[in-house]
Amino acid sequence: MEELLRVEGLESGYGEMQVLWGVSLKVQRGSLVVILGPNGAGKTTTLRSIMGIIRPWRGSITFDGEDVTKLPPHKKVPRGLVLVPEGRHLFPDLTVEENLLMGAYTRVGKEDLSDTLELVYSLFPRLKERRSQKAGTMSGGEQQMLAIGRALMAKPKLLMLDEPSQGLAPKIVGDILETLVRLREEQGLTILLVEQNIAQSLKIADYAYVLEQGRVVLEGTSSELLEKEDLVKAYLGI
Amino acid sequence: MVDVGLVVANLVYGLLIGIIYGIATVGLNMIFGVLKIVNVGHGAFIMVGAYVTLLLFTLAGVTPPLTIVASMAVGIGLGLLFYYLVIKYLVDAPELATLLATFAIGVLLQEIVKAFMGADSRGFTWNLGNIEIAGVSVALSKVIAAILSIALLGFLYLVIYRTKLGLAIRAVVQDKEGAMVVGVDVDRIYAISFALGIMVTVASGSILAMYLQSGIHPYMGEIYTLKGFVIAVMAGLGSIPGAFIAGILFGLFENLSYVALQSIEGIQPLVLTRSIAFLLLLIILLVKPSGLFQR
Repeated sequence: MEELLRVEGLESGYGEMQVLWGVSLKVQRGSLVVILGPNGAGKTTTLRSIMGIIRPWRGSITFDGEDVTKLPPHKKVPRGLVLVPEGRHLFPDLTVEENLLMGAYTRVGKEDLSDTLELVYSLFPRLKERRSQKAGTMSGGEQQMLAIGRALMAKPKLLMLDEPSQGLAPKIVGDILETLVRLREEQGLTILLVEQNIAQSLKIADYAYVLEQGRVVLEGTSSELLEKEDLVKAYLGI
Repeated sequence: MVDVGLVVANLVYGLLIGIIYGIATVGLNMIFGVLKIVNVGHGAFIMVGAYVTLLLFTLAGVTPPLTIVASMAVGIGLGLLFYYLVIKYLVDAPELATLLATFAIGVLLQEIVKAFMGADSRGFTWNLGNIEIAGVSVALSKVIAAILSIALLGFLYLVIYRTKLGLAIRAVVQDKEGAMVVGVDVDRIYAISFALGIMVTVASGSILAMYLQSGIHPYMGEIYTLKGFVIAVMAGLGSIPGAFIAGILFGLFENLSYVALQSIEGIQPLVLTRSIAFLLLLIILLVKPSGLFQR
């Protein structure tokens, strides 16, 4: 399999505080990779640094054969590197459809968006029903669907999701992870997922990284990690 | 006894000047709404617009309504210049830094204008005769100034609510990180929003010059910075239509308080009218600090 994303020796942080101390990871095209780790391990910082929301201090990020280490987010989105951020960050006073159109911001006026919009509406029929409703008035689960839908509008090659299950009921978490599996199988989408939920995410992932204190402490295929479940749990402090 | 004719006349004049106050505050509120920066140099940009109209009319004979186009261009130019030179580096800095920086920009503009134009108060005459509104005789030039204010507000409204750029601006206001992850160049949106805010402010200076036709000098903007703050706080910082409506209310309040003060013997109503605006500011801050039109 071909490599879509390669992160090497990534160091990053906020202000004077270093959070990542040399994170390296790879995502093969068409795979589903999960990053596990306890709170404060640097999972979110890793995704934010890959996206360019915060500037990497050291290390390199190669995406689709191109060095994108120093590119800002608005140059990464058109290349197909797209993040569903922690806490969703929707536009609460815009309608569902306006949020989706904002997802395609870098494509508006250049391409026909109706196909992508149809795809999102077929994945999440609820969004179609509520398309003229303001995003801020929807339930948490619906908002998470909208956040994923908005990211899909950019036509990502790699979809990164930061704890999409956070704060949602187990049934809805199941639905959302199910949707990710479908996206990967039907659309051939590559997915990098950050999760706290070990059992459910290892079930759908091909490969997993365990992060602790800003370093990768364990990695392997999902089945390898499932065999070492005790070790994983020890790292995660469960 | 209250003179009904005087009250009606002040209502009409209050409405007209209120519309001008409204458009003169919209830019201040837009910049705060998007960049979360209080432009202390606000009034100096109004002053620049007044000079654009004064000079184009007296030197080149350009009819004042047309000078607004030039003011808008000057405003966009100054807005982009100061954004990329100064504001860009201070957007995320502590508030004191932007307060001082915009104060400095205001002083700089005042002194540059003074260096070229002198400190004398100037004016011009653009008389189109009078028309009657509700039985009150009003200079047509003042009515045109008010109509142009509404047109300018309409233009800004269309940009913000009917264009892709406007959608991006609203997205940045609602969730900056959300805007970043969908690929909005937030820095560029800041630059454009700042330039649009300054554009409206400089253009409002042209409208004000058309309305007053006198008292144009390098420091004329200061009182509008102060009034702008009162109006912006009344509206709720950041709200654009709110700023316009609050401006109208402020104009009405100012003129009616003049009528009321006039009926009290032994005081100077015009002088007190100015201080009463700040009394209003204190009352609003105590009663509804989030502003009248803020959710």
